[in-house]
Amino acid sequence: MLRPYEMSSVIMTGPNKFQEDVIKELHKLRILHIVEHSKTDLADIGNPLENANKLSETIVKVRSLITALNIKKGENKFELKRDLPEIYETTKRLNEGVSKNSDELKKIEGLISKNQAIKHELEIFKNIDIPLEDLASYSSLVYFTGYMGESKVMALKEDLSKITKKFMLLEDAVKKRSFIVLFVDVESKEHASNILQKLSFSPVNFTGIGNFKGTASSNLGKIEKENTKLENQRDNIKKQIEKLGQEHKDFLICAEEFLSQELEKAEAPLKFAATKNAFLIKGWVPTGQLRSAINRLNKTSKNKLFIHSEPAKEADNVPVKLKNQNYAKPFEFFMNLYTLPNYKEIDPTFFVFLTFPLLFGFMLGDFGYGLVTLILFMMLKKRMPKAKNFFSILIFASLATMFFGLLFGEFFGYEEIAGFHLPHILSRSHQINELLYLAIAIGAAHINLGLIIGFVNELKSHGFMKALCAKGGWIVLEIGIALLALSYFKIIALPIYIGVVFFLLSLFMLLKGEGIKGLIELPGIFSNTLSYARLMAIGLSSVKLAEVINESAAEMFHGGGFLILAGVLILVIGHILNIGIGMLGSFLHSLRLHYVEFFTKFFQGGAEKYKAFGEKQ
Amino acid sequence: MAELTIGMIALSSALAIAGSAIAAAWAEKAIGVAAIGAMAEKEELFGKGLILTVIPETLVIFGLVIAILILGLAG
Repeated sequence: MLRPYEMSSVIMTGPNKFQEDVIKELHKLRILHIVEHSKTDLADIGNPLENANKLSETIVKVRSLITALNIKKGENKFELKRDLPEIYETTKRLNEGVSKNSDELKKIEGLISKNQAIKHELEIFKNIDIPLEDLASYSSLVYFTGYMGESKVMALKEDLSKITKKFMLLEDAVKKRSFIVLFVDVESKEHASNILQKLSFSPVNFTGIGNFKGTASSNLGKIEKENTKLENQRDNIKKQIEKLGQEHKDFLICAEEFLSQELEKAEAPLKFAATKNAFLIKGWVPTGQLRSAINRLNKTSKNKLFIHSEPAKEADNVPVKLKNQNYAKPFEFFMNLYTLPNYKEIDPTFFVFLTFPLLFGFMLGDFGYGLVTLILFMMLKKRMPKAKNFFSILIFASLATMFFGLLFGEFFGYEEIAGFHLPHILSRSHQINELLYLAIAIGAAHINLGLIIGFVNELKSHGFMKALCAKGGWIVLEIGIALLALSYFKIIALPIYIGVVFFLLSLFMLLKGEGIKGLIELPGIFSNTLSYARLMAIGLSSVKLAEVINESAAEMFHGGGFLILAGVLILVIGHILNIGIGMLGSFLHSLRLHYVEFFTKFFQGGAEKYKAFGEKQ
Repeated sequence: MAELTIGMIALSSALAIAGSAIAAAWAEKAIGVAAIGAMAEKEELFGKGLILTVIPETLVIFGLVIAILILGLAG
């Protein structure tokens, strides 16, 4: 709690012939966070193990097969023979089978789309009664194909007959437009094309049907038949691929997992420092597990490995593994989402565990809503074990919502049920001002908690004076402002100058503790405190919405008959929506109050996450 | 006359909320776009992006407090 796991830095070095065994042992131990070596004049990085190439080649194949066969990763109980040559062989065979099928599939799909383009062109010609071979190139004739307005076809005929008699016009009216094929004597080509342009003719070029004989409608049937055949073939191949996927699904998933572990081992030397005959590994190990790890490594290397360890020093960039009790562990989610605390800093997870559900509950604050969300998240937690932590947080939040629901005496927005007035300590919909003061008071408490944690952090890292000035200064400032306000409004009988003295003292402390930055941020502490007014605002909007829903439903109930059904619908849908909005708002705003208002008082963060070599991702 | 005064007070408090809400939305729009852009490059920036995006929200809270103070005038 409050501190991450204690870490020790470890350096180990040994002759190359033990490298592979040491890597295997470390991979099994799962405790070493390796610090990557970067090339220096003294030592280069190591070379990957012999089988790395083959492994990465195979894993690429396995992954592409997983994609090609559309395999979803999931739990399976497949027993993989941990025999690399056999995995290589099976993967190769499978890859050949699948790539043959998918090449074939690509070819057929190409043919299908080509046929569809031809079909589209033929359909345009469907009602034009000329053999398609007539659309060839002539020396004495030209022809135009394209669309024009239906009403303009008559005008076209008239205009053409004025210049020549040698023309033939075929037309097919489709939805106010006409598709026309116009054959004209080559001498009148210029004239004809001018006329067409005037009548806003839009030409269509046909590319796919040059080699066809006979009318379009007779060809259309042929093409359609051909396409059905192709589509059948395509479906067969798809089925085959799917069958392959089903058969080898478990093998592929297991092989991928196994290979990526092997590859991690094979590529590990890339992170080590290496000379011609020796290797050196730097890293971090949780101090508690150090002894047993060293013993096991010594056994593996027959005492040929030199291992040096020492506790983490102040200036070290230590990877952080958060340490919290089981109940607070889900709240590490928020730290991972933001940034991990530095090794020497206080880990705020426990405080977030205490205050996040409270702020959330204060905003949603309805016994009924809390009950609904509690049941919902209990169910979801069972259904989706992957998001377990997230739902645990929400379950805590729901419990807090129920608790505040009792304090506020609210049940689905109702303050009384069947004439029985629910007992409450504070009614949110009637005591708005009190709610506002309470919200801001909670804010002041929360921020001061942050300042106190900040004080402890500073005390550890920079000593008492700095801690007192940088964090205590803010508290003195708050006291000063409070005294000023109270004495100005004559609430307490104190001369104003006492407040002024506190105020000036705090200015001096902040200047000393945080420098000019502290003075610039002076108004920040008030906007931070005021920001907690959202606790009241979001709560109020949720209550008022619930009341509106209840009132409109009540009106329906008074109407009787079918309106009762409508009233029930309004209640159900309305409250579901309101719960949704309330959850989202309460969650985000509670999170924001922690990240922005609370954390800025003490938290720095930025540590690297501890990741043990061999640990599953 | 008294009704008109009450109406004006209600209107002014509505203006306080509306103005600050528009301002906050405007600011958040710009920051949100940039934050999403940054997140597309580097997913770990979600936490920081969220914080930067919600900073202007305080504007609305100020608007709300002012609105409540104005309503207080109406008694």
